[in-house]
Amino acid sequence: MAYIELKNTTLDLPIYDVQGRSLKKQVMRMGRRNAIAEGNDGVLVVRALDSVDLRFESGDRIGLIGHNGAGKSTLLRTMAGIYTPTFGTVESDGKIVPLLDISLGMDENSTGLQNIRLRGLLLGMTDAEIRNKQQSIAEFCELGDYLDLPIRTYSSGMRVRLGFAISTAVDAEILLLDEVMGVGDASFMHKAEERLADLHSRAEIVVLAMHSNSEIRKVCNKALWMERGRVRAFGPTEEVVSEYEAQV
Amino acid sequence: MYNFALSDLKQSIASWRLWTLLGWLEVRQRYARSRVGPFWLTISTGVMIGSIGVVYGTLFGQKMSDYLPYLAVSLVLWTAFSATVLEGSTAYISSGHYIRQAATPKLIYMLQVVWRNVIILGHNFVIVVLLLAVFGVKSWETLPIFIPALLLYMANALWIAMVAGLLSARFRDLPQIVAALMQIAFYVTPIIYRPNSLTRFSFIVEFNPLAHLIELVRAPLVGELPSATTWLVCGGLAAVGWIFALALTGRFLKRIPYWV
Repeated sequence: MAYIELKNTTLDLPIYDVQGRSLKKQVMRMGRRNAIAEGNDGVLVVRALDSVDLRFESGDRIGLIGHNGAGKSTLLRTMAGIYTPTFGTVESDGKIVPLLDISLGMDENSTGLQNIRLRGLLLGMTDAEIRNKQQSIAEFCELGDYLDLPIRTYSSGMRVRLGFAISTAVDAEILLLDEVMGVGDASFMHKAEERLADLHSRAEIVVLAMHSNSEIRKVCNKALWMERGRVRAFGPTEEVVSEYEAQV
Repeated sequence: MYNFALSDLKQSIASWRLWTLLGWLEVRQRYARSRVGPFWLTISTGVMIGSIGVVYGTLFGQKMSDYLPYLAVSLVLWTAFSATVLEGSTAYISSGHYIRQAATPKLIYMLQVVWRNVIILGHNFVIVVLLLAVFGVKSWETLPIFIPALLLYMANALWIAMVAGLLSARFRDLPQIVAALMQIAFYVTPIIYRPNSLTRFSFIVEFNPLAHLIELVRAPLVGELPSATTWLVCGGLAAVGWIFALALTGRFLKRIPYWV
C-alpha cells in the first residue's frame, strides 16, 4: 500500500541572492504572509513549511489550496524528495513522480521523438517503458510527422501538447501535480481532462495544487488548506473548500 | 555521510542513459545547424596547435617532428581536464532547473560534464592520431598504457569538479576563482614547454601535481613510460581527493536544491 507521511516537518528556505536587509524591508512592506527571519550567518531564511503533520493513504485524492506563497509548491517538492526538511521527517512507500513543470527537460534542437526519450528518462522511466509508450504518446499529442522535426519549430501550443502527453504517460503510485491545467485549444482541453482522469486512476495517491476550486471539488475527495506554511485545515473536500471560500 | 554520497553515486551511474544523453545533447546544441558540427572542435584545436606549434617550436628551438605531437597531446588532454573542472564548477548551477523540479541523483550532473568532455576529447583526439600518423609512433609498446592513465587522469578531474561544483553552488564567486586558477595552472604546468626546460625553477614542475597528471597521460603517447613517482602521485591524489570529495558531497548533497 502506498502512503506518504510527514511528521512535524519544518522547512526553512535560505535565500542567498538578495541583500538581507533591503529585501526584508520590502517584504514587510508588501505584507506577505511568510515567516521571514535572518539566519545566524546573515542569510535570509523563509520558513516555508512549519510543523506539518500529514498522512496520505492509498485512494486519497488531495487538493491543495491556499494563497500564493502559502507553501503548496514547497510541500509538493518536499514530498517529492527534492527538498529535505530542516526538521522532522518525510516517509513514503511507492514510486513518487512529481509533475511540477510540464516543459522541464525539453531540448530545442532535438526532435519531438528525442524529447519523448529525454523527458521520459528525467521522469524516471526505463528505455523499455519509453519505447512501449512512445506510440501512445505520439497518438495522443496528434503531432504526427511533426514529431520528426526539432521542437524549436513548434508553436507554443504544440510544445504544451507534447510536454503534457509525455508527462501524463508516466506510471506513478504517488503523483504530485502542480497547476497543469490550461493546455492547448478547446478540443485538446477535453482530451487532456480525460487523460488526466486516466492518470489519476492509475495512481494510488494524487496530490494536486490548483487554484480552481470547482476542479478540486470534482476530482478530489480530500482537501488541504495551507496558510503561511502551516496546515490550516485538512479534511473532506466540501468542508474545507467551503470554509476556504468563506474566508477569501 | 559517505553512505549518502555513495548511494547517490551508485544511482547516478545506474542512470547512465540520462547523463550520456544530456551530455551529448549539450555538445550538439553548441554546434546546432552548423554543417561540420562538433568537428569544429577538431578544426579550431588543429589551428591552435598548428600556430602555437610553429611559434613556440621556433622560440624554444625544438625539432617540429618531436614538438608538434608533444604539444598536440598535451593541449588536447589538458583541455579535457581543465574544461571538466571549469564546467564542473558550474554544473549544479546551470542544471538548477532540473534539480529544483525532479528528484534525480545529483552526481549525474557531474558525470554529464565528464561525458561531454570525453566526447569533445574524442573529436580533438583526431589531431593527435593524425600527427602520430604523420610523424610516426615512437613506441607501440607504451600506447596501451594510455588507457589506464587516461582513466586515472579523468578520475582526478572528476573529484576536483565535484568539490568545485558543490562549493560553487553555495559561493557564487568561486567559478571565477576556479577559472583564474586554471589559467595560472596552464602556465605553471609543462603543457606547451618541456618539463626540463625550466632549468632554474625546476621546483615548479617537481612540486606541481598537475605536472605529474599531464605527464601520466602524455608519456605513453610520445613513447615514454610514466615514472613510478608519477603513478604514485596521481594515484595518491585520486585516492585522497575522492575520499574528500565524497565526504563533502555526502555532507552537503541535501543542500544543493536550496543553493541552486
